[in-house]
Amino acid sequence: MTSNYEAKINALREDALNIRRNVWRALRGAGSGHMGGSCSAADLLAALYFDHLRLRPQEPNWPGRDRFVLSKGHANAALGAALARAGFIDDSVLDQFYAYQSPFGMHPDIKMPGVEMSTGGLGHGLSVAIGMALGARMQGKDFRTVVMLGDGELQEGSNWEGAMAAAQFKLSNLTAILDYNKIQQSGPVAEMQDLEPLAEKFTAFGWAVREIDGHDMAAIVEALDALPHAADKPSMIIAHTVKGKGVSFAEDSFLWHNNLVTDEVYEKAMAELGDGA
Amino acid sequence: MTGAKPDTGRPEWDVKSEDQSRLAFGLAVGELARRDDKVVAISADTIDLFGLRGFLEASPHRLIEAGIAEQSAMGMASGLATTGMRPILCGYAPFITTRSLEQLRNDVAYANQRVVIGAACGGIVLAMAGGTHHAVEDLAIMRNMPNMTVIVPADARQTWHAALATEQLDGPSYIRLGGKFAEPPVTEIAADFQIGKAEQMRPGGDITVIACGCMVPPAIAAADALTGEGIGVRILNMHTIKPLDREAVLAAAADTGAIVTAEEHRTSGGLGGAVAELLAREQPTAMRMVGMPDEFAIVGPTARVREHYGMSQQAIDTACRELLA
Ligand SMILES: Cc1ncc(C[n+]2csc(CCOP(=O)(O)OP(=O)(O)O)c2C)c(N)n1
Repeated sequence: MTSNYEAKINALREDALNIRRNVWRALRGAGSGHMGGSCSAADLLAALYFDHLRLRPQEPNWPGRDRFVLSKGHANAALGAALARAGFIDDSVLDQFYAYQSPFGMHPDIKMPGVEMSTGGLGHGLSVAIGMALGARMQGKDFRTVVMLGDGELQEGSNWEGAMAAAQFKLSNLTAILDYNKIQQSGPVAEMQDLEPLAEKFTAFGWAVREIDGHDMAAIVEALDALPHAADKPSMIIAHTVKGKGVSFAEDSFLWHNNLVTDEVYEKAMAELGDGA
Repeated sequence: MTGAKPDTGRPEWDVKSEDQSRLAFGLAVGELARRDDKVVAISADTIDLFGLRGFLEASPHRLIEAGIAEQSAMGMASGLATTGMRPILCGYAPFITTRSLEQLRNDVAYANQRVVIGAACGGIVLAMAGGTHHAVEDLAIMRNMPNMTVIVPADARQTWHAALATEQLDGPSYIRLGGKFAEPPVTEIAADFQIGKAEQMRPGGDITVIACGCMVPPAIAAADALTGEGIGVRILNMHTIKPLDREAVLAAAADTGAIVTAEEHRTSGGLGGAVAELLAREQPTAMRMVGMPDEFAIVGPTARVREHYGMSQQAIDTACRELLA
């Protein structure tokens, strides 16, 4: 007999599979896209949208909602897939990726329901999220703010200005999740501008740091359930992930950071992902 | 695509008809590096965007990877230049301008350092990516930097010539490039390229269209159609926005009395702005400006979005007819 907890974890795995399938679907419609960073983030997004975040999809601007900022905006296909499954937008929008006058372009646009900030230029989301967390605290509101960062993105210096500020302001209502897939646009992060020792850096900056396997749904849920990880610090979840997770030929390669998706490639990917049934 | 290319008399990129200016710029980086051992490329996670992988493999010590850190890349370029190196910074137009703008203004333009900035994906080449990835204010910003030379090549061939011409410059330069799709060749292979000297692509005495970059081909198409109706349209390919070719603009105003500008940029502050400022001071002339309105662009396929905002042959045709009416 499966417990409620196991059933929940299994359901979230289904949600993550649905996100991945819809990422491939959106990219096939557009002809190309950021597959790698969308699929590395799928499990994290599933846990956020279908378990952790307090949201009202029918009332996207509900003032009490938790805020989520996708700072690595090029993973918008995955965010759109989550927003569609959650009911913020119609499923048909996923077939409008990159299309003329579409609300669903390569990067999140604040005009689309459920999107909290237009992103795409890397290294903006953390400071915006700090502003949201400060706004909650200054107005006595209990909503929480979560921001997702990319590892290559962390090379932007603005992140480190934000890292300082969030700790200075003791923002325990702020969580950053790092999609640490180890690969950026042109190659491995470690060979371009290495981030290590990363957990030590954020700890030294004054954050409560936890490292998890970003594809282990139980571990993700456990880390999110335990928030805030310290009473007077912002929380950083370093999620170790695999770029392109779920489809063998696209995993762990910078070539799949942003690539063409033909019908043939799409069919192969779908066959590998399966339908989860 | 390495620095050491065989001397065939033809640049190797010219063999293909489907040229891309960003790749021509990358090849020119290799050529410049071959000619001058002070030349060093700086990437901000943009190696493949500029086709620099071959160059990196052949000469790893000649490429500095700054990571996704445009501000740091810009500052490093300035510092390298102060030591006598010849840095060529390869970035995305939307990020290498506004993201690192203060470094660009202070460390590069104000300090007047010999930094060449290659800016791929200018205009709305990345239309499907949304407003964060459009660069339709970059020319206005760059034009307002004292010491800066601002070039918008019309095709890959011209990019090659423009990049090589930066060798002669003593100050900083900005070269705006296209994206990952073909730009139809419109200039001659062996065209004489001079920074600050407009290229007349069609003669004509009734009206002048001054265009730059990807608006040159539609300008030529519009001119050829109007010529068929007996209207003489002069076309100036104004590849250098700064310093502007005063003589060519003033002569066009005097000879034709009507000027249309066409650019993939907001109509304020760029090519149209530069031409209008000059004419307002020296020779007020009836004008129309073809370009982006004061808006953030919608998402969509680039060609479609260009049409949406009237950056097209049709819009140039309409502007000409309005002025001639
Ligand atoms: C300021 C800025 N510079 C450059 C880019 C171009 N760009 C988009 S995604 C990307 C690589 C991002 O790598 P990473 O953060 O590791 O993302 P992930 O691997 O999770 O997809 C780059 C360089 C950008 N969007 N913004």
